[in-house]
Amino acid sequence: MDFGKFLETPEYDIKIITYRDIFQSEALENSLFGDEYKDLSAIIKLDSKDMEKMGIKSGNIVYLKNKYGDVVVKAVESDSENPHRGYAYMPNSPWSNSLVSDETGNTGVPNYKLIDASISDAKGEDIADIEKLEVVNV
Amino acid sequence: MEDEDKYNVCTACSILCDDIEIETENNSITGVYTACRKGVSRIQTCNEPMPCTLDGKDTDVDTAISETANILKKSENPLIFGLGNSTEGAQKKAIELAKQLNANLDDTSSFCQGPVVEAILNGEINYTCTLDDVRNNADVIVYWGADPANSHPRHLSKYTYFPRGKYRQKGYDEDRTAIAIDVRESSTAEICGNNSYLIPPQKDEELIDALIDALSGKVPKVSFEMNKKRILELANILKKAKYGVIFAGLGLVYSLDNFEPIKRLMDKLNEVSNFYFNPMIGHYNMRGFNQNLFNETGYINRVKFKDSEVKHGYEYSVVELLKNKSVDSALIIGSDPMCSLPGSIARNLNKIPIITIDPCETLTSRKSRINIPSALSGVECGGSAIRMDGVRVNFEPMIETSKISDEEILRRVMEEL
Ligand code: SF4
Repeated sequence: MDFGKFLETPEYDIKIITYRDIFQSEALENSLFGDEYKDLSAIIKLDSKDMEKMGIKSGNIVYLKNKYGDVVVKAVESDSENPHRGYAYMPNSPWSNSLVSDETGNTGVPNYKLIDASISDAKGEDIADIEKLEVVNV
Repeated sequence: MEDEDKYNVCTACSILCDDIEIETENNSITGVYTACRKGVSRIQTCNEPMPCTLDGKDTDVDTAISETANILKKSENPLIFGLGNSTEGAQKKAIELAKQLNANLDDTSSFCQGPVVEAILNGEINYTCTLDDVRNNADVIVYWGADPANSHPRHLSKYTYFPRGKYRQKGYDEDRTAIAIDVRESSTAEICGNNSYLIPPQKDEELIDALIDALSGKVPKVSFEMNKKRILELANILKKAKYGVIFAGLGLVYSLDNFEPIKRLMDKLNEVSNFYFNPMIGHYNMRGFNQNLFNETGYINRVKFKDSEVKHGYEYSVVELLKNKSVDSALIIGSDPMCSLPGSIARNLNKIPIITIDPCETLTSRKSRINIPSALSGVECGGSAIRMDGVRVNFEPMIETSKISDEEILRRVMEEL
């Protein structure tokens, strides 16, 4: 994939909070490699005001990146009643784990729950299947 | 045919629900009752059962086991990882094997609820109780950084908020208050309604100290937007509790540098009222692994055996071992580190031979040199496990299988060695 082209699109900083979802867990129990697990995992939920600012619409494919990795997922408008500008939500999965830091401050515990990353419009790129994620292909 | 008077145990999470009814036909499960979505899905077994393979080609179990022994024998610093989804019998075997091999041994508690379980087993936290105690007595239930509606779907209905209990005959209608403290509006927070408290990430310790102040009659202060009245209102509910319980989720555990704030809060709460503390453990037998290793070595995870010595420390955690590339083979049992570890660390698994023992295909198994299919515990083989609250639960298989258990696989690997 040519990630260079994303550099031309505006990037915004975002803090990602990860969470668990029962439907995603159910899909995982059925099949890790199935479409359902991918569809329920490779998403990022954004505050509607943030989406407006970024020019990103629900269903757009976005590129997330930080110094630990990068991943392409689908943007979805958050269903939270409380605004959460600057914060986005992602279900815990190998897609969110692609961005988790390997720095643990000598604790052995990575910070899975709060991830700093940048987000930009991926202009119709494909979301990687689980087996195409970088973790298994280096 | 319905097994009318037989209840089964679900092993899809560490509540280990023991009231599961199933229907079977010709030794396959045709109906699952009482379980939640996640449980039903686990009990119906996976869509991609693991084939027995060596270097990507089909092989038989005997060959896979002797090749496993060969790799482990040659390895200078092997890692044994997983076991949160294994029976206690398999866990004990894995500890023996790790000793025999001078291996590193770790599990997922190393990067999730480990610190809490350690504090409980070390006796640093004495305020624990069982889920049955909660059902019978609890009037105030606090979920802090936890969302059981998604992670442990029957926690609220079987044990904490909704059920009638011995001293809580009116259940959630009148007898119980459920509180959620979290950084996002979770499904559990929605159930808690007005008793849901949203805080910014990493501010848990501040809220703990503000609550301690409020419980001590001082004016609580926090640096983030949260009305003092709300904090006082929360402190008041906690103070009036006759039997309160805090269930700590990963949200709370990850946001604290150490355990001191929780200890401060629990001490204060028990000065002014009556409070208990329990971790929300994920995998069905993670606590069993921690307890079995603790009995054997005095440590709950992150150990390295060296002749008769046991070394322990963060440097023996799965994360640091893989990050520093210090292990030269990995035996993965009932776990999928390629999925659950940060990508930046898990990618190092690609550089060493991996052996996976699992009932289902995993991302790790697809990159493994050897895959050995095992019976799915709780469904295809029986055993025992330790529930999230420390209670031992025994279970029988629901159906018969020709696959062997991970305990038996480990036994045979040891024999080959
Ligand atoms: S709550 Fe946990 S143990 Fe109970 S049925 Fe659901 S997954 Fe199984």
